[in-house]
Amino acid sequence: MIEKDYIIEKNLIERYVLGELNASEIDQVERALEHYSELTVNFELIEADLEKLGRENAIDAPAEIKSELLKLISSQEEASPDIVEVSKLKNYFWVAASIAALLLIGNIYFYSEKQSILENLETVEQEKLELNEKFNLINDSLNLINSRYALIGNPKTEKFILNGNQIKPDATIIAYVNTTQKKVLVDTQNLPKLDSEHDYQMWADVDGEMIDMGVLKINEELVTMTYINNAESLNVTIEPAGGNDHPTVANLISNVYLDSTP
Amino acid sequence: MDDQTSSFVKDLTMTEQDKALIERLQNGDNSALTLLYDNYSNALYGVIIRICKDEHLAKNILQDTFVTIWKKIDTYDNQKGRFYTWAFQIARNKSLNAIRKSKKLIQTEDLSVYKDKSNNQSNLAEDLNLKGHINSLDAHHKQAIEYVYFNGLTHREAHEEMGVPLGTFKSYVRQALKQLRESYLKIASYVLVLMECLG
Repeated sequence: MIEKDYIIEKNLIERYVLGELNASEIDQVERALEHYSELTVNFELIEADLEKLGRENAIDAPAEIKSELLKLISSQEEASPDIVEVSKLKNYFWVAASIAALLLIGNIYFYSEKQSILENLETVEQEKLELNEKFNLINDSLNLINSRYALIGNPKTEKFILNGNQIKPDATIIAYVNTTQKKVLVDTQNLPKLDSEHDYQMWADVDGEMIDMGVLKINEELVTMTYINNAESLNVTIEPAGGNDHPTVANLISNVYLDSTP
Repeated sequence: MDDQTSSFVKDLTMTEQDKALIERLQNGDNSALTLLYDNYSNALYGVIIRICKDEHLAKNILQDTFVTIWKKIDTYDNQKGRFYTWAFQIARNKSLNAIRKSKKLIQTEDLSVYKDKSNNQSNLAEDLNLKGHINSLDAHHKQAIEYVYFNGLTHREAHEEMGVPLGTFKSYVRQALKQLRESYLKIASYVLVLMECLG
């Protein structure tokens, strides 16, 4: 806090009233005025002196200044709504810009959503196709199985058991033969596994000649084999992998006669 | 001096009516500006024209001063001082800025343009002679007040102008104001006595 005497000595109050002080000095004087009532009285007197001097030395201002001043102020007042309009326009601009930005973001969002949905749709379509294929396969399999079981259950179908000889004593093959429908099915679930270089092959004996009925897939419940007319017996041999043109008689593991064959 | 007398002196010029006008203007009532203009324009014009010594320039500055008063009225705080002090400072600053610009023009432009203006100034000078109680002061006191209150000089500029030390100049101002105040108080006391008698 500046000392009271310093303020008086430096004419700080007089200079404060005249508007000569800088911001820091103004702040100091105002704080001193709050603190020292004597300075406040002095300040009020100096203000009064200034005003009295001013009024005593007043000079009539030309009349046109007042009218020009009022005109200027009313024109500035009229101009101010324009400023409001501009600021309103600015506000509208920002509102419009915000809406546009939101729409853009919305569009981007919906576009990406659409793309995602389209991709999902494609996946679903693909899955549907795969499922259709699987369904068709299963349906085909079912139809096959149904037809096979229908064949087994058919009264015209005969069942033959082919037991393994000394070469393959554990082997058992069940054969279902329907001469009416000319179909042969075999159950190979009880055929012992062979090495990779050999397969089991089935043959039909027709008038002493062995005719190929196909290579047997092992461990199958029902395998369709080639039906041979007028077969007298069914024979199974062990042949090189993939089958043979002629049976290797030494490798015959089982056979059965078809008694009812016409 | 007691507070009652001080308050009397203050209220002699800063009336409640003016306070109300300022409040109206602060609340956006522009009609109050017309009345404030009527109350203060001549005193401010006297200050402005004595600083710039140019009638045309003084007119513009006075108008500009009142436009600023109108625009900045919200920043005026009557707890910090009189309206006249605030308006005086605006007028003084605008006048000083205007003559600074004029001086720059004079330095850069053809001086002959301003010859007529100088003649006008000498005619004007008679009108600008100070009136009232200031004339009862000693010459050096009157000069000191004239420099700082009417010519817009700072204390520092004015002491150089008078050719006296700054400290001496400051005491001139204080003594001058004291003398003025005493002469005002004589009137104030007379008014008080008159009011007592009439009451």
